Amino acid sequence: MSRSYVRVGVLLAALATSSTAVHSAELRFIACPVYRDTDAGRKSGCWLADEGTSGRRFDVSLAPTKPDWNHEILVEGTVAAVQDGACGGVVLNPIRVSVLPGSCTRHMLPAEGFPGRTFVLPARNVRPLAEPRVVPPPPYTNRTFYLFYDFDRSFLVYQLDDYLLDQAVTYLRAAQPKKVVVTGYAATEAAEVSGRRIAERPQIARIRAESIAESLRRLGIPAERIEVRWRADAQPIDVPDADGVREASRRRVEIEARVTD
Amino acid sequence: MSLLIGVPAAMTLAAAAPDRWWSPGEGRTFPAILDYDNASGTVRTLVSGGAVQTAGHPFFEPLGSTGRACVTCHQPADGMSLSAASARARWDTAGAKDPLFAAIDGSNCPTLPQAERASHSLLLDYGLIRIQRPWPPRDAAGRPITPDFRIEVVRDPYGCNSGPEYGPQARHPNISVYRRPRPVSNLKYLLAVGFAYDPKQGMALPLDPVTHRPLSGNLLADNRASTLEAQAQDAAATHLGMSRPLDANTLARIVDFESRLFTAQVRDNRAGALDADGAYGGPLNLERSEPGQLGSIGRAVWSEYAAWETSAGADVTPEQRAFRESVARGARIFRDRTFLISDSAGINSPIGFGNPVRNSCVFCHNMSQMGNDVAPGQVDLGTTNEPFADPLPHLPLFRVTCTGEPHPHYGKVIYTHDPGFALTTGRCADVGKITLQSMRGLAARAPYFSNGSARDLRAVVDFYDRRYHIGYSEQEKQDLVNLMSVL
Repeated sequence: MSRSYVRVGVLLAALATSSTAVHSAELRFIACPVYRDTDAGRKSGCWLADEGTSGRRFDVSLAPTKPDWNHEILVEGTVAAVQDGACGGVVLNPIRVSVLPGSCTRHMLPAEGFPGRTFVLPARNVRPLAEPRVVPPPPYTNRTFYLFYDFDRSFLVYQLDDYLLDQAVTYLRAAQPKKVVVTGYAATEAAEVSGRRIAERPQIARIRAESIAESLRRLGIPAERIEVRWRADAQPIDVPDADGVREASRRRVEIEARVTD
Repeated sequence: MSLLIGVPAAMTLAAAAPDRWWSPGEGRTFPAILDYDNASGTVRTLVSGGAVQTAGHPFFEPLGSTGRACVTCHQPADGMSLSAASARARWDTAGAKDPLFAAIDGSNCPTLPQAERASHSLLLDYGLIRIQRPWPPRDAAGRPITPDFRIEVVRDPYGCNSGPEYGPQARHPNISVYRRPRPVSNLKYLLAVGFAYDPKQGMALPLDPVTHRPLSGNLLADNRASTLEAQAQDAAATHLGMSRPLDANTLARIVDFESRLFTAQVRDNRAGALDADGAYGGPLNLERSEPGQLGSIGRAVWSEYAAWETSAGADVTPEQRAFRESVARGARIFRDRTFLISDSAGINSPIGFGNPVRNSCVFCHNMSQMGNDVAPGQVDLGTTNEPFADPLPHLPLFRVTCTGEPHPHYGKVIYTHDPGFALTTGRCADVGKITLQSMRGLAARAPYFSNGSARDLRAVVDFYDRRYHIGYSEQEKQDLVNLMSVL
């Protein structure tokens, strides 16, 4: 272990200890990301982001969506209970990152002794078609599935939403519900983040819903059973797959399997 | 001691190679195993189910006004593609009257004097066929798509993107781009669907409107046709000059034949047999294997040569051993040598891998035994887009202006020699995306990349090295070239 790694690791530990007050609080800020080129194999680089008000540097590498060094990012997450010091920032986990349109000057740091993290396949990874799905046994009841989105996007988040959609479709195929209600939500209520007021476009709710409805049709759910709805002013929800990231939970699609009327 | 231990048995399976060039309507028998030598060794095409009588077979017969057959641009000696060297040889033999050089797309533009070599320079020097796409793009049902970009012609070396008949301002607006013919072989791999979702589009895979099965999206450079049937109809209407669609029986015979072809290098001049001493190169293994497997969770990509890492054979010369070990190292480098991939749409956006992301060649070339993408493989490497593309003064240049959201990596304005996938989708974010293809039979079909911009395999490696600042050593480059030469 290099000297610089030890030094920064100690600093991180102190930061983590001194910030116990924010452990349970969700951080939300906009920043230009910094890429640290740690090389512990494929997909092992680190992503850092500095929070403007406090000046603290956070490790946002564990987000499902990684940053783009040419664009601003919206960071939403909480300080992780375990700080591994792998990248040189206070680790946020759970965390969501959204790539925003605003431009950034790209910046890359060398590893500087930080080891980064060897890539580990996320628990939520969709399996090949050749692998049989575990079909949920009957009886089948009304059930709702949730998909979560990056800010103002309708794109299925890789190794998160594709897995959640796959779970939903497996259930829908088994349960054969009379109706499938797909409701898209948009977080249209403006919020102040890093000195800026941000809100999702209302139309993204419909785009999200129609995109999922089309995916469901492509995956064999009968079109006539799918009903599409959309809503603005989405409120946070607390379900397991939201990972406790309150603000991100507003940006969602609900897939409601109505087995009974 | 022979350098070709293990080869004679394999070679005797093949009949003596017939003439290299297959002209339309010759009526030859296409044998079950067909070998042709090339500069690296021998490429083999085998036909599942045995030999095919080509007399009267629609893959081999001229069907339309150009006098071409499918085989004209999908030659067995060229790995079922077409090399620029074969085009030149054909010019030297038959001249401008050969159907290969048909004015419609075998010349730089139909308006040029067809008897002159210069009018066919793109085909002769770069192996390029003219592809004319409608503008604005049309969907699979022929309905116009409203694009989110404007396109203007900056450079038009041959006049095929300007004037009353050609170009975006023509009476029937169109865009001419120039592309290499793709190999018609190993197609079960290109049609295989590994996952239900397209991570590059953030959607479930689209469905074949006929069979309602998910589409692989891995056939054509711009994904304008997603099934063999659609590809054949597209080719018949354009390259063959047919005025009517192929009928069902003709279509079925073409698709059946194409689906039974498997092609790979089977012998190398330096390595000897590619299925010797624990290796299992060659097409037979391709015919027998299950397609669509992701190398990272199954059989590692190019592990066909893993045995040569530790034992390159007992009865081999030092030169043979050295080459085999180089091939095995090349496979390792292909899988394990990571570098920073940046600003490549389809990799760094919109999917959330990050920009940049550290990975290796197999990040995209991830399908076992074939090296194409298990997911639909539309990616912008920069082979056609400035500033990453090499200078290509012989190709047209377009200025694309995004009218909606800017491109995630280029911004509002993109200069491109070929908008690629964007000519199918109408989306600015897809400008310059070209579908990954099979890496089999490469030694038989130079030049490389969709626009023929890499004259040999070394040029392919050099492009990647420049584009992503990889810093390959000379040995690593040679190992990669040697690997690709035996696929």
